[in-house]
Amino acid sequence: MNEIFSFTRWFRLVRKHGAGHGRKYLLGLLAVTGIILIWFLFLVLMQGYQPLSWPVQVGTYFVVLFMVGCLFGSSLFSDLASRPRGINYLALPASQLEKTLCALLYGVVLFFITYTLVFYLADVIMVKVANSVTYARWLKNHMPDEVYRPQQVVNVFTDMLEDRHDRPNPNVMALLFFFSIQAAYILGSVYFSRFSFIKTTVSLLVLSLFIILFLAKLLGAFMPDGHFLDGLNQYSVSTSGSEEQVILLPDWVNTVFWAFVRYAMAPLLWLTTYYRVREKEI
Amino acid sequence: MVSIKNLHFSYRRSKVFSGLSLQLEPGFVYGLLGKNGTGKSTLLRVIAGLLFPDQGEIRVAGQVPAKRKPSFLQEVFMVPEEFYLPDVPLDFLLRYQASFYPGFSREQFDRYIREFEIPSGNTLQNLSYGQKKKVLISFGLAANTSLLLLDEPTNGLDIMSKSQFRKVMAGALNEKKCIIISTHQVKDLENLIDRITIIDEGAILFDQPIEQVARRLAFRISYDNAEIAAALYSEQSLKGSAIVSNNPAGEESKIDLELLYKAIVHNRPGIQSAFNA
Repeated sequence: MNEIFSFTRWFRLVRKHGAGHGRKYLLGLLAVTGIILIWFLFLVLMQGYQPLSWPVQVGTYFVVLFMVGCLFGSSLFSDLASRPRGINYLALPASQLEKTLCALLYGVVLFFITYTLVFYLADVIMVKVANSVTYARWLKNHMPDEVYRPQQVVNVFTDMLEDRHDRPNPNVMALLFFFSIQAAYILGSVYFSRFSFIKTTVSLLVLSLFIILFLAKLLGAFMPDGHFLDGLNQYSVSTSGSEEQVILLPDWVNTVFWAFVRYAMAPLLWLTTYYRVREKEI
Repeated sequence: MVSIKNLHFSYRRSKVFSGLSLQLEPGFVYGLLGKNGTGKSTLLRVIAGLLFPDQGEIRVAGQVPAKRKPSFLQEVFMVPEEFYLPDVPLDFLLRYQASFYPGFSREQFDRYIREFEIPSGNTLQNLSYGQKKKVLISFGLAANTSLLLLDEPTNGLDIMSKSQFRKVMAGALNEKKCIIISTHQVKDLENLIDRITIIDEGAILFDQPIEQVARRLAFRISYDNAEIAAALYSEQSLKGSAIVSNNPAGEESKIDLELLYKAIVHNRPGIQSAFNA
């Protein structure tokens, strides 16, 4: 018997999780769809011109993704918060890796896919509604030389400034950042048995503050007066004269740092979650 | 089946076990008795791999419980005192949960459910606390794991259910299975357990087979003052005094578990001497 991972056991676990939580998840998705629909409807009714513009659609997608994703992430291991549920969870004959992967499948992969589908469902409907409403308004109020421009359903993963090829796509960056932040909330759901969402939020804020203060103090102690220019590998030193002094580090420093922030944070936090679940006592 | 050597365990502030050793074999029902807060439930959770010992060695069917390997988990079933059952129909348990236990028998489960008189077709949420507990006990028995841990199984069961429980348990044991029942309601275990283990303040206070207890000790009502005075333990009852005394003739007597428990708590050296003789 494979004690670490068996597909048969994992599929059983996925099936069981789906059957046990399916109704709850479906209701959650309906609620999210309702919130997006109501928000878009509010904008259509309140804003006369271009109510569902590119920033509105993209902004709504990411704001709701972060809020709902982190809230859902912080409830992913909530079973471990109560002894009866925790015993039921930990005593189930499956490996800790299978249990963690099952939670990540529902909490990260399926959540992201279904949320995106649900968002587009609401978005497509509301863009059509918005176009009919704004077209009716345009017919009623437009100036003679004014052309009616219907709104489009946007691709939330593309950069608004498409010609900016030399920089990373901020929307994809936001998505990668979401996975890292959500991973922190998932880890928080294992660490904190009560109020895990609030406690994780506070912990992240304290940690961010600590890092900012620490870096400012640490860097201030041994770096000359100045500031970073473009990335972490260019540091401009303040001089009294007109000549500019720049300290250059190899490019790979910048590349490695950003690659870590973008791609390694979430997997590392998922890995920590796995180890934390493995050593969880109840 | 279960081998515990020099177990040390403590919660953050309080020590629960310091050097506890215990050996449990398959084919027996063990009664784990003790006052509230003496560590009975903790011991069961350590055996189930839900808590990790600070020191010492614990093996269950040759495995280290703390590793919580699937092969270990499918051989151990625990019915905790406070348990959780999802809000799903009874069939759900069988369809989605039973498949994790290779030895699970649907036929056995149905039989236990009938014996416990659980109405079928309901979701688990519609059942009472006692009925839910009986469902979980039935599931645990039908899972046919080598080790079955029952923590206060009769708590919340009515008089009829307790009698059903004893009947079901009596028929569930086989030579490969080890059952550990932890309780402070000693009366519920009468005629059920093969060995009695009493825990107090993190140590084993008493650990003897029931057969041996019946041969070494005599339990009866006495009106004879001299006999009462010479008894290892006595207490006033409505009809004379209930006493625990030595049983030199070795004739099997009917064990009063509650009386035995009190006798051990109040006069452990005296009771122990009966077994050393």
